[in-house]
Amino acid sequence: MIAYIIRRLFQLVIVLIGVTLITFLMLKLVPGDPARALAGKNATPQRIEFVRHQRGLDRPFYVQYVRYVERLVHGDLGESLYTARPVAEMIWEAAPVTIQLAIAAVLIELLGIPLGVYSALKQYSFWDTTLTTGALILWGIPVFVLGYFAMYVFGLKLDWLPIGGVGDTVLWIIPSSWTSFTYLILPALTLGMIEIAYISYMQRAAMLEVIRSDFIRTARAKGLSERKVIWGHGFKNAVIPVMTIAGIDLGALIGGAIITETVFNRPGIGLMIYHAIGQRDTAVIAGGVLFATFFFVFANLLVDLGYAWVDPRVRLED
Amino acid sequence: MPDWDERQKPERDVYGTQLTQAETIDARSSEEVIEERVEEATKPLGLWADTWRRLRRNRLALVGLGVIIVFLCIGTVETIFYEAHWHVRPGSDVSAANAPGYLAPYDPNEVNYALSPEGLGSPPSWSHPFGTDYLGRDVLSRTLIATRIAMLVGIIAVAIALTLGLLLGPVSGYYGGAIDTVIMRLADVFFAFPYILFVLLIMSVLGAGFQNVFIAIGILGWATFARISRGQVLSVKSMEYVEAARAQGAGDLRIIFRHVLPNSMAPVYVAMAMAIGGAIATEAALSYLGIGVQPPNSSWGLMIAESVNYLAAGNWWWLLFPSLALVATVFGFISFGNGLRDATDPKLKE
Repeated sequence: MIAYIIRRLFQLVIVLIGVTLITFLMLKLVPGDPARALAGKNATPQRIEFVRHQRGLDRPFYVQYVRYVERLVHGDLGESLYTARPVAEMIWEAAPVTIQLAIAAVLIELLGIPLGVYSALKQYSFWDTTLTTGALILWGIPVFVLGYFAMYVFGLKLDWLPIGGVGDTVLWIIPSSWTSFTYLILPALTLGMIEIAYISYMQRAAMLEVIRSDFIRTARAKGLSERKVIWGHGFKNAVIPVMTIAGIDLGALIGGAIITETVFNRPGIGLMIYHAIGQRDTAVIAGGVLFATFFFVFANLLVDLGYAWVDPRVRLED
Repeated sequence: MPDWDERQKPERDVYGTQLTQAETIDARSSEEVIEERVEEATKPLGLWADTWRRLRRNRLALVGLGVIIVFLCIGTVETIFYEAHWHVRPGSDVSAANAPGYLAPYDPNEVNYALSPEGLGSPPSWSHPFGTDYLGRDVLSRTLIATRIAMLVGIIAVAIALTLGLLLGPVSGYYGGAIDTVIMRLADVFFAFPYILFVLLIMSVLGAGFQNVFIAIGILGWATFARISRGQVLSVKSMEYVEAARAQGAGDLRIIFRHVLPNSMAPVYVAMAMAIGGAIATEAALSYLGIGVQPPNSSWGLMIAESVNYLAAGNWWWLLFPSLALVATVFGFISFGNGLRDATDPKLKE
């Protein structure tokens, strides 16, 4: 297990170097001279040169990259070109809104597991067909489409739930009252429904594969009750791979949360990036993307380590 | 020529009720039925005939295939007729009467304020089945013409991703060692980003516009194909026919692209179907966010983005129809891809 952890951490370092390198390249490749932008509109050429030198923009590429990583390690993501605010500060304010939505959606998405198991056990029944068809259709719906339809029906026509904004919280992410909880319902359901579809489909496939395998036949042959066979032997083995898929799918969930925020006007990382796109504020876009990516990479690491802990076979794989 | 037994087959039973298909088959000698079944089940089929036989049983996948074909046809017809029909006479008055051979009944970009009282568009009617938008443009025509862009993005972006992936993946799997490590670690980095955010980052550098959508989606998609094809190459690399090819003096490239790759394409086709659906959804998301297709051009994502500002005024039609087209297309590709996976996965074969 220790060897596995060390190997995974080594991979993590490589991935993080790659991710920061790509983000750094993106910042470099943006059209326009960053020194000129930083110096202000009517700066003299001398002033621009001074800024260029002061910011180290005249140094070789790799020196600039190392300095970039150094600043990242110290939590400095640069400044917004538009408002001149530190990007890290903007992210610090916006992150709880996004994390709240993501956690709520994950809790909803776990419902996909029992649905998938049920589908697999009743394969080709009416409910299986209905659930599978429903899952495939939901899976194909872009999150903003579902979001606007939910908003139109439950927010505008029925007027049950607020159509946008965010409620007060305690401890960063826990809604402080029922009213502030209602702000979370539509976005979380929108995002959660699409993930339920994906998880239940995957769970169905995993369960189908497991209940056809030899050890299930053995369990049946030695006379175990059907309940013990399914829940004691089958379910355990079918749910673990789905947890890994759910970990990988976290990336889609984060991406979905970003877009859901633009639909429901929640001031999280997504809305921040959305506004930054409109203002061509690359520092903010890169900062937001980097933050979400780090979050995703570390969450994936935890899922992988958990998987390896539960299933020893994984540790030995390359 | 009809079979002798075919003609003798009774169509009605002794009570005169119409026989169902199953009963007429049973009415024949059971030995013959069994023989026929055995022959059908054991008949050697090619890979594709075999896959098709399995796929045919999956109704969802067939629905998906049907949807794909319909939208591909719409997209093709639009592409052929759009330039030929509307752009030859700019500024002239256009009506449904003089639009021969063209699916969209109106010019998708024609602004007509008379059809948009109070700037809110008009609801579906006989002359405008999908209603009109805030500029009085026909929503049906705009939805149809957007099919073209969606299909183009799906096909071209995935073609770019596929080319890159099928160059890097097999090479990585076949040679192994340092090349493999470098390529696969690079793929890890690409997988580390949440997908849509990576696309946003690339688009913010390239700038908005729909050519850049092709490039961004295409460049980011290679890692999936590289990983799949690498795994496939690894699994067939040590097979005897590869050794045989090498013994005959075939070079590495020839072995990879003539012998190994064609025998390991099934999962790649599955990933392709899924990737096209994904690319179409991504294009819609980018256009929705305002960095994909730019107005006045039409894209489903852009139409949705334009409609939502007027949603509170009750303009449901303007949101509904592009959404339906988008969802149907993405569903088509995903469900066809899923069916193809079930049909080609050796683990699920009987």
